[in-house]
Amino acid sequence: MKLSALIVAAGAALAAPTAIASPLSISLEAAATNPTSPQMGDNLSFHSVIRNDGASPVDGVIAWISLVRVDKGNEQPVDLEDWSAHKAITVVRVRPGGTIETDWPMRLIQAGRYRVVIIAASRSGSALTASPFANFTVRQKPVVDSAQVLPVAFGIPLLLVGVMVWRRKRHGKAKLRGEPTS
Amino acid sequence: MTASGLIARKEAGELLLNPRGLTWLMAVAVALSTFGLLLVSNTELSLLDNAQVVYDMVGIVAALGALLALIVGIDAVAGERERGSLVPLLLTPVSRNAILMGKLGGVAIAWGVIYVLSLPYLWAVGSTGQNMIDGMLVSALLGTPVVLGFGFFGMALGSVAGTTRTALLTGLVTLLVSASPLLLGPSLRQSAIGHIFDAVNPFSAAVNAYDAVIVDSQSIIAQSPHMLVAAIWLILTLVFARMRFRKIAR
Repeated sequence: MKLSALIVAAGAALAAPTAIASPLSISLEAAATNPTSPQMGDNLSFHSVIRNDGASPVDGVIAWISLVRVDKGNEQPVDLEDWSAHKAITVVRVRPGGTIETDWPMRLIQAGRYRVVIIAASRSGSALTASPFANFTVRQKPVVDSAQVLPVAFGIPLLLVGVMVWRRKRHGKAKLRGEPTS
Repeated sequence: MTASGLIARKEAGELLLNPRGLTWLMAVAVALSTFGLLLVSNTELSLLDNAQVVYDMVGIVAALGALLALIVGIDAVAGERERGSLVPLLLTPVSRNAILMGKLGGVAIAWGVIYVLSLPYLWAVGSTGQNMIDGMLVSALLGTPVVLGFGFFGMALGSVAGTTRTALLTGLVTLLVSASPLLLGPSLRQSAIGHIFDAVNPFSAAVNAYDAVIVDSQSIIAQSPHMLVAAIWLILTLVFARMRFRKIAR
């Protein structure tokens, strides 16, 4: 809920005609180590560089990651709670020409098509700065594998039936011989 | 072998070696199999739900273990009294504590069998997800005191109640209330009463530790407050069982 409100606010702020252009710029790239065709459970990382292109320092910079799902009919902001523990950074001051390099790791929880963006705000700036989108698709991975579940689900009860039958036969034979039975 | 060991072996033998006695183990296996099969057809599970599946299965295992311990505990005292086999046991030169610990030994062995039986199921549903091994460990660490505590509680009830039926009804209602966190999510326990209930309920302690370790990927060591609640439950039920068992007249 907070995230969606943040995205709406970010969109509104970016679209605001009176906002003064921020001296910050952000580039965003997928890490070279990312799998080419990631699936659920894989880890991805994105590398962002926030640069102060202005002539004066920018104080109190906050940058955060946003993720949106863009599958047709399933467009929605994603709550990063389960995807990443690294959701934001704060920097006291970025000097003119200075940069902040950040890695944004995440674990892929659900299949779908996604767009990730890094957004930055500063204490005194009147506009948000957003990076270009980085797109990725997460392949479905069978969470509960039937090839594993079925043998166990049918095999263990059958094994127990076998043990019960064997015990009963042994019990019966011992009884016939007049031996004590457990 | 000590007297406690002999009693434990006899109790476990009745549960595990008797052909008819194995029916309960079959019921446990069928319950776990049914749960596993229900999951196979679900293609909408996210990776997070995989952890949820392991959490649910660990919770089911603890509930089944507690149910078994409670019933076996009640039957070990009230059932034997009704069948007329308790008095001869009490007349033997074995201390009440040794008898009590021996009977609990039977419960502990049965719980061990349930736990081992649950491992392939946990592997089947959880090996493609996260924290399966930690889930197995926390299931043993938290599940054991909770289950054994219900065993002692059952023995205490069996000693207090006049009939097996009364003891069973009381015990099952208590277990149902205690295990309610398995059915009620954390959001339904956010009130002050819910917090108090969670703080004193051993089943809540176990369930909250399962949730923290399996779903939230927290460390097992961080679950020591929950382990403390489970340990206190075990000690209190042991004291209760000893007190009531001593008062059974020969």
